Amino acid sequence: MPQRRELMKGNVDSLLLCLICQQPMYGYQIIKELGRRSQGYFQFKEGTLYPALHRMERAGLIRGKWQVLPTGQQRKYYHITEKGLSILVEKKGQWRDFLAAMNLIIQPASVEVGK
Amino acid sequence: MTTTLAHYLNDVRDNLRLDLSTEREVINELETHIEDRLQEMRQAGLSEEEAANTCVKLLGSAKLVARQIYETHSQGSWRQALLASMPHLIFGLLFALNWWQGIGWLSITLVLVLSMAIYGWWHGKPTWLFPWLGYSLLPVVVAGLPLLYLPKGWSWLAIVLYIPLALWLVYSIIVQTIKRDWLYSSLMLFPIPIIIGWFLAVELEGKFPEFSIQHLHDFAPWIGLSFLALAAAVAAFFRLRQRWLKIVILVVSGLLTLTMVAYYPDGRLSLSAFLVLMLVMLGLFLSPALIERKIRKRDVIPRGGW
Repeated sequence: MPQRRELMKGNVDSLLLCLICQQPMYGYQIIKELGRRSQGYFQFKEGTLYPALHRMERAGLIRGKWQVLPTGQQRKYYHITEKGLSILVEKKGQWRDFLAAMNLIIQPASVEVGK
Repeated sequence: MTTTLAHYLNDVRDNLRLDLSTEREVINELETHIEDRLQEMRQAGLSEEEAANTCVKLLGSAKLVARQIYETHSQGSWRQALLASMPHLIFGLLFALNWWQGIGWLSITLVLVLSMAIYGWWHGKPTWLFPWLGYSLLPVVVAGLPLLYLPKGWSWLAIVLYIPLALWLVYSIIVQTIKRDWLYSSLMLFPIPIIIGWFLAVELEGKFPEFSIQHLHDFAPWIGLSFLALAAAVAAFFRLRQRWLKIVILVVSGLLTLTMVAYYPDGRLSLSAFLVLMLVMLGLFLSPALIERKIRKRDVIPRGGW
């Protein structure tokens, strides 16, 4: 578990940008969605999500906007910005390169067979 | 919401030390998160108390959450840093360029300092306000000095009326500042020991109106330099994120500047005066923190009242 957290540390922004890029989301929704899609692999300490969201908002990567739900409750939805989008494209590229390189090391035979 | 969760949110709020609107937004956001989480846990069959305890556990330490959120908002922009260091810069230039002798420049400085302090005070008390506020307290002290030269009898009456009034004004401004964050109160009081240090180092001859202008003239560039050093420290203070680093930069730069005052070759600041000033400086830095703690214990500070 601590190793997972270490691995996640440097990639929090990419994960959050990825989710928010697909649709605007609020904090709780992000945590649920992240857990669901990763089948429980990515688990945030809930309180630490908000500092990350606020930091990204200050950096201009996302923009928070309060919206009223059909139930009358208010939630702060985060939307991705143009700057966030271009950072996400860049990060995705870096990840693909990284994964490809990792695969070459971890599964050399299968990669070569695939070729 | 249960008492556990209300305490949790209060704990976060007490440690956020941000401006009121940001604080309110952060707390609202955490509150909505808690609402969603509680609802889910109630549906899963947990009791109110169990749900609240699990919720707090999942959120993590209130102090840590507050500190992390504080650090995302605590770094001022370069514009704010410049604006906050401006009063020190102006005083630095006033002495470094020997403009302090011109009544015109002094009047402009006075009007500017007071205008900025009043403007900031009535416009949401932004963070850059506090250094201006510190300098705006100087006229309160300076205005009291001529009272010493009034005719006998009148002088006492004026002092009896003026001193409590001035102290009340200074104290209420300090308390208002502490409500925002004790660190801003320290920032506000930052130049006071340096000013006192120079006052003693220059060793004014005779009574206040007759002191040697020439003597002060010799000191002026060095005095200017010390204020420029304070300006640089304030700019750094605003650009730093971590709270402990902000405290370190204030304490270290204050003590170094005071050392600079004490070791000026022509200065008259004795070692004992220097040590006393060091203690005054540390006292001024840290007493707002103690006052804040004391007031909070008595629950006098309404966090929403700032």
